[in-house]
Amino acid sequence: MSNAQAVRTIDYQNDTGTEAFLFPHGMAGFPEDTRYGFLYEGRGDIVCMQSLDNIAASFLMTPWDEVRLGPPPALTSEQRFCLQMEYGEMPFWMLVLNPFANPEWIVANLRAPVAVNDAGRRGVQCIQADPNLELRYRWMPQPDKAP
Amino acid sequence: MMVMRCKAGQSIRIGDDIRVSIRAVQGGGQVVNFGIDAPAEVPVHRLEIFELIQTENRAASAGNALAWLKGKRDE
Repeated sequence: MSNAQAVRTIDYQNDTGTEAFLFPHGMAGFPEDTRYGFLYEGRGDIVCMQSLDNIAASFLMTPWDEVRLGPPPALTSEQRFCLQMEYGEMPFWMLVLNPFANPEWIVANLRAPVAVNDAGRRGVQCIQADPNLELRYRWMPQPDKAP
Repeated sequence: MMVMRCKAGQSIRIGDDIRVSIRAVQGGGQVVNFGIDAPAEVPVHRLEIFELIQTENRAASAGNALAWLKGKRDE
C-alpha cells in the first residue's frame, strides 16, 4: 500500500466514525501537522502513525515496554493539559522507531516518547530533558538480521 | 534579534501571557537561572534538545514507513 492509499484508508475510517488523533503541537519538526491516524498492518507490535495533513509525516511506533525500560516518564501538567487527561489517568505511551538510520538495528527514540489519550483522541510528543536517555536505542534487529 | 539586559529578580514579558524571570546569575555570569511562565498550550523546550528531536523525527520519517511496515509483514 502506498502512502497515498494509506491516507485514503484513514479518511475512510474517519467516514465510518473513527476520529483522527489530534496532536496540538504536532510532532517536533512537523508543527503544522496535527491530525494523525494509526495504521496496523496486522503483525507484530509496530504501527504506522500517519499524518492526515502531510503525507511525508509518518512514523513507525511501538508501545513503551516497561520490562525493558522501566516505567514511562511522568506527564507534566502542560502535557496533561494538552492530552486533556485528569491527574491519575495514564496515557498510552509509545516510542518513535527509526528503521532507516542503522542497517543492523531498528532504533527507538527514548528522548521523546509519545503519550496518547486513546479515549480523547489526543497525543503529544513528550521531550525529555534527561541527557542520559538514548536518541537511538537499539530496539530490535532489522528483520533481515534477526536470528 | 532583540537584546535586553536584566538583573536577577527582573522579568521580561513576551506578549500578553509569557513571562521570563531571571532568578539568579551564577558562575561569574556564565550561568543564568530563569523561570518561564507560559500558558499550558505553549510548548517550552531547551533549543538544543528540541532541535535534536526535530532532526531525529525527520530522520525517522525520511523513508516510507508504511511500505517498510508492509515489507516486514510480508516476510
